[in-house]
Amino acid sequence: MPAVSVQHLAKSYGDTQAVRDVSFEVEKGEVFALLGPNGAGKTTTIEILEGFRDRSGGQVETLGVDPADRSTQRWLRTRIGVVLQELAVEPYYTVRQVLGRNAGFYPSPRPVDEVIALIGLTEKADERVKRLSGGQQRRLDVGLGIIGNPELLFLDEPTTGLDPSGRRDTWNVIRELASAGTTVMLTTHYMDEVEALADRVAVLAQSVIVASGTPASIGGRDSSEVTIRFTLPDGVAPADLPVPIPAGGIHAGQVELHTVDELRLLHELTGWALREGHILAGLSVLRVTLEDTYLRLTETAPNETAANETAQ
Amino acid sequence: MSSTSSTPTRGSFRGLSDVTMVGRQVRYEQLSFWLNPLGAFFTLGFSTIFLVLLGAIAGNSKAGSGYGDALLHQYYLATFIAYGIMAACFTVLSQTLVNRREMGLLKRLRLSPVPTWSLLSAIFLSTMVIALLQVGILLAVGALGFGDYMPGHALAFILTIVVGMLSFTALGVGVSTLVPNADASGPMISIVFFLLLAFSGLYFTITPGSTLAQISGYFPVRHLITAVLASFNLPAGTNPWAWHDLVVMALWGAGGVLLALRRWQWAPRRG
Repeated sequence: MPAVSVQHLAKSYGDTQAVRDVSFEVEKGEVFALLGPNGAGKTTTIEILEGFRDRSGGQVETLGVDPADRSTQRWLRTRIGVVLQELAVEPYYTVRQVLGRNAGFYPSPRPVDEVIALIGLTEKADERVKRLSGGQQRRLDVGLGIIGNPELLFLDEPTTGLDPSGRRDTWNVIRELASAGTTVMLTTHYMDEVEALADRVAVLAQSVIVASGTPASIGGRDSSEVTIRFTLPDGVAPADLPVPIPAGGIHAGQVELHTVDELRLLHELTGWALREGHILAGLSVLRVTLEDTYLRLTETAPNETAANETAQ
Repeated sequence: MSSTSSTPTRGSFRGLSDVTMVGRQVRYEQLSFWLNPLGAFFTLGFSTIFLVLLGAIAGNSKAGSGYGDALLHQYYLATFIAYGIMAACFTVLSQTLVNRREMGLLKRLRLSPVPTWSLLSAIFLSTMVIALLQVGILLAVGALGFGDYMPGHALAFILTIVVGMLSFTALGVGVSTLVPNADASGPMISIVFFLLLAFSGLYFTITPGSTLAQISGYFPVRHLITAVLASFNLPAGTNPWAWHDLVVMALWGAGGVLLALRRWQWAPRRG
């Protein structure tokens, strides 16, 4: 049984369709990322999975139960953790007090001090929340998401607003949770976050899933052309190279080749250079980035995206 | 990972543990209130200081027409008790709810396993604890500073306080749903509230039966003030059981409940 199962999910706000015909599954123990531009329906989808928002259509199961079913909602909420998109922490409590209070909501919470250490706030444990920096408050927010010892953790843009070291710390927390078997479902705008954390990713655009797969393969990324670049060695004419150079393939002494068979082409090039004693300065092999793929997949009608943002 | 039962259990109420949870939440609500000393001081201290100042200025002057031989500071004691209840249960509560909603705190609580009724009950009970503390402080001022002046009919006074707290709590919750964002909560709630207070007889006596009394009688503020005054036997000879005022307050409270049921939102409105 998957941790999350979504089949033909739809959600409307009046006349605006925020989510339509969205389907995906998240396996237990997996880190699953939902990528998409603002207003694509990511938060709406997550809120439906949490049982916070009702759906307009489709089938949804979170940990085997319908999150909209009021009779099992309390059971479900003891087993999920949520990190909201907006920072939501009471300002007057200390770090320890706010975690201690929320720990009391759950039947088998993680020890408060363990969570404080995990989110790197041991030095600030008795500090008022309002005196923490924005990044520290965000880490506390993550701590509140995991204090209940969840089986499934929803993270809605968990590292927005964090500095680079704060982001790395949060990634480490997520990795640690995932390695202990916690299923993680996150939304993010950061491609490096997806590549660092996610086992699988789905791209949501114009309220529908436009692609899904591993970060390395999504959108045909693993089978698309790669770009090979190097500086033409001194005294070598383009015709001397062991591979044909397409028109426009040399600019200001830089050679740029596109191929889907990079192994063979590199073998020919480097073998030739070694034999002839040439140096291929600046040799690089560039695969299409996740960001390139994402931007290609999410070229959306702006008016529709804007309508969704308004609705949410 | 959670080690609770993997079989979904149905139902929401967990009996005594839920009731215990309410008590625990009330303690945390109180902690939150007292951890903000400035806020606590202005909530509890404003009416006390105002009462002492106005009482000192009033001296032994009479309350005015319609109140017989009653002294003005005795009138103020009753009206400021009404004010204290309204400030805690209506103004502070509604602004707290708006701020928490807009900060995402209500949404976070909604996503916790604690049942909604338990969370909200704790907030309301904590508000009422503050209101009762306020009443206690003002009664102490009456006892110590105004010549042992106390309510003339204790049971009527208690009933009035209870109905007032419940009605204005319900109104506070209802009105919080009308406020679109945290920035608007101060002006929208406080200004309207203070205008109503001014024309309902908080700072000056309103002759019963006058035009102003009739106009302010459409609003609940006047009814809590007159009900508390009645429990102090003001004006002299008044029935301390101000049933009409209590019923009107309860109807306003019911309106607040209906408004809340229709418009309540856990997520920020971002209006």
